[in-house]
Amino acid sequence: MSTILECKGLTKTFGRKKVLSNIDLELETGKIIGLLGPNGSGKTTFIKLVNDLLTPTAGEIRIAGFKPGVESKKIVSYLPEKTYLNEWMKVEQIIEFFSDFYEDFHADKAYEMLQKLNLNPGDRLKTMSKGMKEKVQLCLVMARQAKLYLLDEPIGGVDPAARDYILETIINNYNKDSTIIISTHLIADIEKVLDYVIFLKDGELVLSSFVDEIRAEQGKSVDKLFKEVFKC
Amino acid sequence: MLRKLLKYEIKATARIFLPLYAVLFSIALINRLISFISPLEVQAPKIISMIIYITILVGMFVITFVMMLQRFYKNLLTEEGYLMFTLPTLPWKLIVSKLFIAIMWTIASGIAAYISIFIIFMDFTGISSLFTALIEFCGKLYTLFGLSSFLFTAEILLTILIGLASGILILYASMAIGHLFNRHKILASIGAFIALSTITQILFILLVSILHSLHIHDILLETTNFLNMEVTVHLGIWFIILAAGILATGYFVITNYILSNRLNLE
Repeated sequence: MSTILECKGLTKTFGRKKVLSNIDLELETGKIIGLLGPNGSGKTTFIKLVNDLLTPTAGEIRIAGFKPGVESKKIVSYLPEKTYLNEWMKVEQIIEFFSDFYEDFHADKAYEMLQKLNLNPGDRLKTMSKGMKEKVQLCLVMARQAKLYLLDEPIGGVDPAARDYILETIINNYNKDSTIIISTHLIADIEKVLDYVIFLKDGELVLSSFVDEIRAEQGKSVDKLFKEVFKC
Repeated sequence: MLRKLLKYEIKATARIFLPLYAVLFSIALINRLISFISPLEVQAPKIISMIIYITILVGMFVITFVMMLQRFYKNLLTEEGYLMFTLPTLPWKLIVSKLFIAIMWTIASGIAAYISIFIIFMDFTGISSLFTALIEFCGKLYTLFGLSSFLFTAEILLTILIGLASGILILYASMAIGHLFNRHKILASIGAFIALSTITQILFILLVSILHSLHIHDILLETTNFLNMEVTVHLGIWFIILAAGILATGYFVITNYILSNRLNLE
């Protein structure tokens, strides 16, 4: 099995505040991975570091052997928790934008997903609600044939009906060559699709394990284990 | 990748500028028609349409300036930055694409202003006499300076371009520095602009006093005896180009460093 993501001593501080401390991690290709932790545990910071949107204070990251940069960005498809779409564009214009900039983007796939989610490609993003924009973004991100998908809270803002379709889309897109990292605190909804989980607590890695192992060794679900680990 | 970035930057800005120029030209044309048809003793329509025209003309330059700030700030330093900085490209290409298109629209707005003035005031004899005057001027320039008149033209164009670039880049650098602060980013950007302009002025004064203490002007004056005034003027222009070029490079390096290593999108 090849490694898709590798971190060594990864640390990020903002001023005096340590947001991530000394993370060592090696993730295999071909898994659906849950990045789990309560709010403020460092999940988004971790994802932003992998995307080169932040620079590590110490340590290093490798994505399929590449440091975060042009080469890694070609193979990483990232769904941020923010809506980053240009308001003035129509959905079809942003699809053209993605086709232009990403070689692995499949416009037909994006149109297909939009149709399933009842979104009109001719609509301006300005006129859309926040939930609709999140759906558009997810279509764009999943229409890429990327090696690594980084989804930051992909189901947080959408309605439960769309949630099922989105999870289905995510699983359908999964193949042996790609890896999906999903950050969330809505574990119950997502547990059934996960192969592997990472628990972050106050910026530290507290668990990195296969879901099957957790079930076999601890005899409990990930959701239950999460509630125990992060008990308030 | 730079070519694609430029293409999208033009798309994002043309939808504002092209209608804006169309409005400016229409108002100019209306001015022309009103002054053509209204009798001499009725002044009010002429004055009103002229006031509207001037308001739009000033508005066009304000919008050109605001767009320059907004395209950099909103597209790179707010949520839209999540999209731009995860494209498989380097931060310097993002900066250059914004810079080139900002320069392009600044020049275009200047040309549009001239055209609108022509629309209002010029008749055919006026335009033809203007062109004759222009040709005459070029001819005189050529007889005075010979081949070096082309050099002068090139130098002046270069000065305008580099001057514009450094003027825009100081604003980019200020916004990038303001972005480093966790709160009051806009206030911090204004502070950064004041600081950068002050530092620039101090550096300029230092440079001039160094040149002064080296007695450059004496050397130049002596050289003029050997050669002529022309060389001195060329040297003077190149000094300005060089100084503006160094400043532009400095602002660019600051901006690129922050966007590459200190990016912290909200």
